[in-house]
Amino acid sequence: MSYKVKLDIFEGPFDLLVYLIETARMSIYDIQISEITDQYMNYLQRMQLLDINVATEFMVLAAALIEIKSKMLIPRMKKDGEEVLEEDPRTELVQRILEYKRFKTAAELLEQQEEYNQRIFEKPKEDLTQFTKEAEEYLYLDLKQFVKTFHLFLKKKKTLEDMQKKYRRVERQKITVESKIKHIKGIFRVKAKRRLSFKELLAPQSDRSDVVITFISVLEMMRQKSMVAKQNTNFGEIILSLKDKGGVEDTENRKAVGETVVLKSQKEH
Amino acid sequence: MSSKKAIKSAFESMLFVWGEPLDVKIAAEVFNINWKDAYDYFKELQMEYEQEGRGIQIREIDKTFQFCTNPENSEYIERLCTPVKEKKLSQSALEVLAIVAYKQPVTKGEIDSIRGIKSDRVIEGLVKKELITEVGRSTGIGRPILYGTTPVFLKKFGFKDLDDLPEIEDIEGIVNENSEDDSVKPQQITIDFIKS
Repeated sequence: MSYKVKLDIFEGPFDLLVYLIETARMSIYDIQISEITDQYMNYLQRMQLLDINVATEFMVLAAALIEIKSKMLIPRMKKDGEEVLEEDPRTELVQRILEYKRFKTAAELLEQQEEYNQRIFEKPKEDLTQFTKEAEEYLYLDLKQFVKTFHLFLKKKKTLEDMQKKYRRVERQKITVESKIKHIKGIFRVKAKRRLSFKELLAPQSDRSDVVITFISVLEMMRQKSMVAKQNTNFGEIILSLKDKGGVEDTENRKAVGETVVLKSQKEH
Repeated sequence: MSSKKAIKSAFESMLFVWGEPLDVKIAAEVFNINWKDAYDYFKELQMEYEQEGRGIQIREIDKTFQFCTNPENSEYIERLCTPVKEKKLSQSALEVLAIVAYKQPVTKGEIDSIRGIKSDRVIEGLVKKELITEVGRSTGIGRPILYGTTPVFLKKFGFKDLDDLPEIEDIEGIVNENSEDDSVKPQQITIDFIKS
């Protein structure tokens, strides 16, 4: 046996209970607790069979229903026929159902209202800046004042130009690693030595940034395997020697043929 | 002192330019007239539009007035430009909203107890949509948050204020009506058993 089930999820236990009561055409004021409890439990069991996760709230109401059902079974008459005046055990449940129904009805009214209002359109607020922008400002000034101000402006301009004639703005030279490498190779060529110490690469007036850029260039050349460096003791002299990519020291050659040719031959390797 | 006709005419122009709901207070300040007079002028203007069955209507939301279209024309507007429709609220959202609207200020606990099920998520969603908002704290144990509806709620559902909410106290009538009603909602559940 297989099930084909189509069900809207009930919003909560009261939703289900109200549905069951209405379907059974029962009066809310005279609920047949036994019948409704059976139906309610049946429904929960069916939900569980279908692997629907039944929320604990549904179980709470189930327990409440069973409690009422059991209370209903207790005779309301004592043995001697005297009636026990006790509240109908269903009263609280009825109150809660009524309360729930009240808001369920309100929710339906809201839904209709929402639908109706979706058919009403409005315009967003227009861009009002064209009305609120500040008005143009006029310059109220007499001619003498104006001429005076203009002269002042000319004077300022002239002093500025005079200044610019005498002084020139000096830009700090930006040295790239590439140009420094070229420069280092040049030093090797000019000095015509296979080995040079790091100090010999630096000009006498070298500042800190020049030392740094020279050192970085040396590191870069070592990375490119076009230079070998040796340092025998900590903080001692660094001895540098050029080599080509093949590992053959060949500074003499370079000196003779010039750099462009060397670069070309390096590519051919 | 401007004539009543001139003021009403000006209000009409102001509504047009403003677009958004225009606060009666602001409009009254423009003419330096008292609030009640300004309000009455807006009401008269609203009435005139309504009586003439104009395509533009004036709606009142929380002591503000706004131009909007006549809902009877929605079909033609939709043919003209297919406006984007807002997603409708879910059943559970409507239930919680109804409880907040009618019982405000109300705590989450009260909402849960009426619905018999936890409503945390739904409340969160409604707060996000700005339909309800925190309005204070209850003096009860734990000082739980109290919720109330917002002007966004009034606008969305077309109520001019909270007194404008439809009456639901008359629940007895609704219950009896329903129990006599033959049309038990059939859409809610159908379970077919198929023997294989």
